Order: sequence, then structure tokens, then C-alpha cells
Amino acid sequence: MDQQIIQWGRSYSDASLAALVGDGRVHSRVYTDPAIFELEMERIFSTVWVYVGHESEVPKGGDYQMRTVGRTPVLLVRGVDKTVRVLINRCRHRGAQVCETETGNSKFFQCWYHGWTYDSTGALISVTGKEGYGDRLDLKEMGLSQAPRVGTYRGFVFASLSKEGESLEDYLGKSAPIFDLLVDASPTGEIFADGGAHKTEYLGNWKLVGMDGYHPHFVHASVMAAMHRNPESGIGATHREDPFEDKARTRTVDFGHGHAMLDFRQHRINHYQPHTEYLKKTKGGAEYVEAMHQAYGDQRARTLISLGGDPHLGFFPNMQLIGNQIRIITPLAPGLTQVTMTAVRLGGVSEEINAERLRVHESFYGPAGAGSPDDAEIFERVQRGLAAEVNPWVEISRGMDREQTDADGNTVGLISDEVPQRGMMRYWSELMTKTPPMAQSLS
Amino acid sequence: MTDQPQIEWKHLREVELLLFREAELADANLYKEWFTLWARELLYWVPCNGDDFDPARHISLIYEDRPKLEERIFRLGTKHAHSQRPQSKLTRLVSNIVPADDYVADRGGSVSARFAAVEMRRDRPTIWSGRTRHILVREDGQLRIKEKHVFLVNNDAPMSNLTFVI
Repeated sequence: MDQQIIQWGRSYSDASLAALVGDGRVHSRVYTDPAIFELEMERIFSTVWVYVGHESEVPKGGDYQMRTVGRTPVLLVRGVDKTVRVLINRCRHRGAQVCETETGNSKFFQCWYHGWTYDSTGALISVTGKEGYGDRLDLKEMGLSQAPRVGTYRGFVFASLSKEGESLEDYLGKSAPIFDLLVDASPTGEIFADGGAHKTEYLGNWKLVGMDGYHPHFVHASVMAAMHRNPESGIGATHREDPFEDKARTRTVDFGHGHAMLDFRQHRINHYQPHTEYLKKTKGGAEYVEAMHQAYGDQRARTLISLGGDPHLGFFPNMQLIGNQIRIITPLAPGLTQVTMTAVRLGGVSEEINAERLRVHESFYGPAGAGSPDDAEIFERVQRGLAAEVNPWVEISRGMDREQTDADGNTVGLISDEVPQRGMMRYWSELMTKTPPMAQSLS
Repeated sequence: MTDQPQIEWKHLREVELLLFREAELADANLYKEWFTLWARELLYWVPCNGDDFDPARHISLIYEDRPKLEERIFRLGTKHAHSQRPQSKLTRLVSNIVPADDYVADRGGSVSARFAAVEMRRDRPTIWSGRTRHILVREDGQLRIKEKHVFLVNNDAPMSNLTFVI
């Protein structure tokens, strides 16, 4: 079987694709082969729900953000009619992008090739020398294309480039309540994804940025050493004691659909008291704790406060909620990935509490943080190593024999178990071995 | 020229030599020695996404006071800061050094400058460039860095690791 897929043709049958993901192992090609990458763009990023942005990033009519769904350039726009849309950033005439500014507010999107102009709802409102088209051009039919399906959950906007497929609700499945752990860190249940974005890039495959509770003692050894000196410095403010030991009450959770979580809830609830004391050192901290108890009741408030709005959720294929950030993972090539970490501000809390959350975020994350650069460095080392195909299998079997099923039917393991990796690759394999609706509609 | 009071040449030279010394130590990855150039209370600020966001409402690439910067220096000095293993090889030019009109030699003040740095790590060269603003202060007779603000030209673009001191 190994022989069958290790051949220089780089064209894959469904059977050979299925053989790339084995029982607790994955073939290197999954991370390195351009042909696989092309198939991923078609069978994953053009079919399933992909995270685009948060409604709070386009608060007013005409506000927009340039984003991508896989390789498709899109605009997250709130129209003058207040509706949030995902428009394809491509002039219906000859295909130029109609917006080249990353973010802003505009009544119109004008293509500067020949002057075709669209309004903020995507409607085509002006064609230069329209009479030249005679009756062949119906302006009403020629607005900016829209993502075939758009859905939101608590302000998070997702798009699917496939007309058919399961609903967003089904796709999120049991991961949906995990999004709440971030949003409900605000006593008013509001987040604003306007705290700025760290934009990083590494020479490695997009699937390397997974949920991994096995790496911190090694990749982040320097941060662990710093935390040892001062438990409340930087990221230490959220990670009390060591959550990455298997004796800790932390877990890995596989929700299906490739979504996975490092679950710190049971671990951090033990630190509710020191965490509230830490919060109270900042102006508005005591009021925050009080407001949370008022809003959610004591039990839920204790969970939400001690977790600190850090779901540590990986949403497949392109988003993670970690710490105080919404992270978007954008694959650019088999060995090139962009990661955008957008910091969130909580509604209903003091400016000082939000500022403290931004400081904690930037101490660890971003291109100059204490943690992210070492992650990126290791991902690059992995990508270089994966070029070796003498024994091409990547091992993801840790904890396979001690997996359990929780009350909700999720697969659960110890924090260092490779439950998230197996969940992600199982779903990857499922998607990659079936021809997507998009490909059918193009043929 | 303007009729603004001109700073004396020897005082300008003192500022230049401090900024050049800072650049030399940073290029050599001599973090601890670099850290001795700073004042007792300090701010090391590298804004993100633009030059003038309010740090209270917007993340920075780096926004550090003395304890946080000291921790960065400590961490870089451990054996396990992987993104600096191997270390970046660096060379930077510092130029266009202009003290503000209200710069006073015996107290200090604000100084603007430009820099261009080439980072070579493994086989990958990266160019870093931008504008800086130093707030200098005289402490125990020595001119020291109270604040350094680094406005990278690429602070809104995706970037690779920025783990040396800039």
C-alpha cells in the first residue's frame, strides 16, 4: 500500500487519498504535496463553512474588511441596508478586485479597470458606456457575486462556497457552546474584534497550527522558565500551575468535523480565587467579577471568570479561539501559511481590564511575543523534516488506547494526547475522499 | 535654516553615539549590555497595524515596561528561545538623527531617527526598516533611553518572527 502512494505522478484517486491517513499516522505528502494542496482548496475550502470575520469588525453601514475563503478574495461588508454580506471581491466584467484596501468604509466599490461601480450591497449601479452592450447586460444580474451560503453564530460570520451542504448549526455541532466561553466572558455578552491584529507568516503547512497540549514544555520552555520566576507575568496570569501535565484536570476534546479543544475549564476553576484577586488589581476588576455573577449566576460565572475568555477551540478548517484572540489561518501554499491573530475587547468591562487583556495577549502572541515565534520556528523545522520520505509517516497515536467518550458523545483524552490531531485528520480524510458539490457544479 | 535654537554639535554627537552604541549592541545580540542603556523607568513600544494606535485599545507588537523587557532579555538568554537558535545575524544603519527643538542637553528629550536593518537567519534574509523616536533622559550623569518607539514600515503586513531586539 505504501508503494502505491509513493510515486511521482502526484495524482490521487480517492483510495490513494484515503491511504494517506492511517490508524494514528499521517503521510508527509499531506503537508508537502502541491497536488494535495490543490485538492484541499477544492474539497475543503470550497465546500465547508469557513470563518470570515466577526460582525463587530463592520459595525456601520459601508464598513468592510478584505478577507479570503480559501483562495477566493471576499469582502465582509455591512451594506447601507445594515445587512452583513460576504461579497466576492471580483469585478463581474473582467475580474479585477474591486477593493484593494484592507479595511474601511465606502458607499461604493469601483473597479478602476473600466469603471464598473457597485454599491455596498454588491448591486451593480453603473457601467461605463452601458449602451455598448445593447440588451445583453442586465445590471440586476451583474452585481458582485455573493458567497453561496453565509451564516452567523453569536456574531461570528461563516461562509460556504458550496450551494449545498449541511447547515452551519450542524457543522458547528457541539463546538457551538465553546464559542460562548469567549463571548460570555463579557457580562453583556458582547465582544468587539477591534483590538488590532498580529499578522504572522511561517514556512509550513496550514494544518500544523493545531490544538496541541503536548508541546508547551518543549516549544515554550523559555516561557515556562520565565513563569517559574514570576507566576503572574504575561501568560502566567491565565495559566496558573502547570495545565500541561497529564495529572492536571485538563483535557483534549474532539467535537467531530475537525473541531477540537484544549479544555482548561476544570483546571482553572480551581484558580477562581487567585484569578479574581488578580483581576481586582486592575481598575474595574471588582465590578467585572460582580457583573459576571449578576449576569450568569454564580456557577457559570465562576467557570467563565476563571477561564478568562480563553476557549482554546480549534474550528476546522481556518479559525481558533485562543486566549484573547480570534485567529484566522490562511493557507497560501503547501509550505506557506498566514496566521492573523485579532485581539478582542469585551463589552461591559472597564477600559483598564481590556487593556490588561491586550497586554497579556501580546506578551505571548504575535511575531514579537514570547510564544508564537517559537511555535512558528518549530512548524518550519517540521516542514523541512517532512521533506524526508524514507519513512514518511507522521505519528499521531498518542493516547489512542486511553480515549474516552464524554456525556455529550465527544472523544476526550488527557491534555497531551493527540486527540485533536486524530479528529482533524479523520475529518480531513472524509472530506478529501469525496468529490465536493462545487466540483460537480463546475463540470 | 530656521531661527530655532540649534543644539550644540557635541550634544548632538552624544545623542548619535548613544544611538549608534545601542545599534551595535543590538546587532551583536548583546541583550544584557543593550539593556544597561535604558533608564530606570522605561517604555519599549513597537506599535502594530499603524503608527498611532492607542495601546489601551489596540495591541502592539511590543509594549513593555522594565519588568516585561527584563523578562524578554531573560527569556532570550535561556537556551530554549528556539526562534533565536541559531541567533539572527544582524546589521543595521541608523541615520537621520534629529533631536526635537525642545531637546535640552542636561535633561534630554525626544530624538527621531530612521533605521534599516538586514536580518540573516539560516538562509533567509529579511529587511526591517522604519522610524524611531527615543525619549532620552539624563540619569546619574549618563544619557539613557527612557522610551523607544519603533514605527516599522511593515507594521501592518504579515511578518515572520521579530525576536531580536529592534
